[in-house]
Amino acid sequence: MKVHTEKLTFDEPIKLESGSTLSRFELMVETYGELNQNKDNAVLVCHAFSGNHHAAGIKIEEDKPGWWDQIIGNGKTIDTSKYFVVSVNNLGGCNGSSGPISISPETNQMYGASFPEVSVKDWVNAQKTLLEYLKIPAWEMVAGGSLGGMQALQWSISYPALIKKAAIIAASSKISSQNIALNEVAREIIRKDENFAGGDYHLQNIKPKKGLKAARMLGHITYLSEANMRKRFGRKLQSPETKIDEDVSYEVENYLQYKGEQFAETFDANSYILMTKAMDSFDPAKDFEQDLVTCFKQIKAKLFIASFNSDWLFPKEYGKDIQLSAIKAGVRSSYVELEGDYGHDSFLFHSDEYAVSLKNFLESNE
Amino acid sequence: MNRSLETIVTEWVSDNSKVIDFGCGDGSLLKSLADSKSIIGYGVENDPNKIHGCIKNGISVVQQDIDQGLLEYKNMDFDMAIMASSIQCLRKPKEALQNILEVANQCVITLPNFGNWELRTGLLKGKMPSSSQLPARWYETKNLHLCTIADFEELCETEHFNILKKVYLNKHGNTSWLSDYSPNLFAAEAVYLLGK
Repeated sequence: MKVHTEKLTFDEPIKLESGSTLSRFELMVETYGELNQNKDNAVLVCHAFSGNHHAAGIKIEEDKPGWWDQIIGNGKTIDTSKYFVVSVNNLGGCNGSSGPISISPETNQMYGASFPEVSVKDWVNAQKTLLEYLKIPAWEMVAGGSLGGMQALQWSISYPALIKKAAIIAASSKISSQNIALNEVAREIIRKDENFAGGDYHLQNIKPKKGLKAARMLGHITYLSEANMRKRFGRKLQSPETKIDEDVSYEVENYLQYKGEQFAETFDANSYILMTKAMDSFDPAKDFEQDLVTCFKQIKAKLFIASFNSDWLFPKEYGKDIQLSAIKAGVRSSYVELEGDYGHDSFLFHSDEYAVSLKNFLESNE
Repeated sequence: MNRSLETIVTEWVSDNSKVIDFGCGDGSLLKSLADSKSIIGYGVENDPNKIHGCIKNGISVVQQDIDQGLLEYKNMDFDMAIMASSIQCLRKPKEALQNILEVANQCVITLPNFGNWELRTGLLKGKMPSSSQLPARWYETKNLHLCTIADFEELCETEHFNILKKVYLNKHGNTSWLSDYSPNLFAAEAVYLLGK
């Protein structure tokens, strides 16, 4: 599989939904496979809130597979021997694209808390700039899970002529009050870290790692299913030699402590807040007087909507609602309910039903 | 999908109409209607393998048990609903018929005729009969509510389901003078266009 990673600089302003403008912006992009001569084999994959441009393959320096490595690759569901896969770190992220830890061209200082609010629509607009830069006439498919699925849906609404298929997986047309509540608890934990300093922690060269870690621990629980946690950890006690911390008793505690700590080392707290806010505010119907059916009448792409039975964060009703509105609007669309063993995170992992249906969708004719 | 059934439904459906097929299988009927009549079609199916077939064929499909939530598809401007060889598998066929007529003003219903003479003689031998329309053994069948043509038409009358059109088919899937002469005895399958 041919992999190419590059940071692209766009010397043109991008106006954000919030009203702010970035005078120029950078996008960290990774691609897999090759664009064919007809330029009709390009697939955009969109990451969920803590993901980044590294979607597939193993990076030598990190020894870590990409977030969708089980799905993207040679001979895999999104087959890179047939498709040219494009993955981008979204604006507001912290893995190379313009975001809180990048340098503002205006002040020559790190943005920090001053990085403007971003939305799913903003990401899609930035990705459209990338599409033009790559001189690709249209995406064959835009796909993603969770917040990534929301981008795929937004693509089909914002740019109907530039997308042929959208795979909207473990996603929603807007998140629930419970989802917003969980996000707010995570943000509150971060904001109340003594090192947060109103978001300008970088000025003091400190990081709110404790808050970020605890927020991630909470988030991580919501990504897994109860059954999966029971199977994986049960009530097993952590062996004393491998305890991350004296206070830990159970394996599940140790696991969350470890994962949380790892995350806090690599992710940025301001990015966490921005990404969760983007998720909260996603509501494409708001541009159409809250009427999702009118909104969906813009869509020309074919939709593939999938939910997982074990996902309680974005339960299957969310997917079904998208499907019913799509049918009402006369949009060509399919909805499948997949088993998935991992709760909300199921979209990241290969399972046979999931792979076959997504592959059949991608490879189906117009 | 029987070729005759396909031909019959193709005659009944209007160009560019919006059609929902409950129990759509691999979507071949919807595919043929899309090709010949440019319909916008949706299938409802619960068998993963059949769903894979639909998606592969580019047919829109919703994974759902048709025993649940037919009414979810109400007020979606469907011109025609189809339920081929499925009504007898549902837990509450009468309610399903009422509901399907809420989904679309016109519904195509097909059913195997349990009154067919071959099945009757089979039963006379004292064992549950089988036929090409009803191949499964009694312990394997999905059919819960088998009925005869006479039973079905009686239900339509008492429930005021208008039979707008009907076609009787023999076991080869063809119309014949014999199945028209005494459908309850000679037809293997009946195809109805119902209206409210």
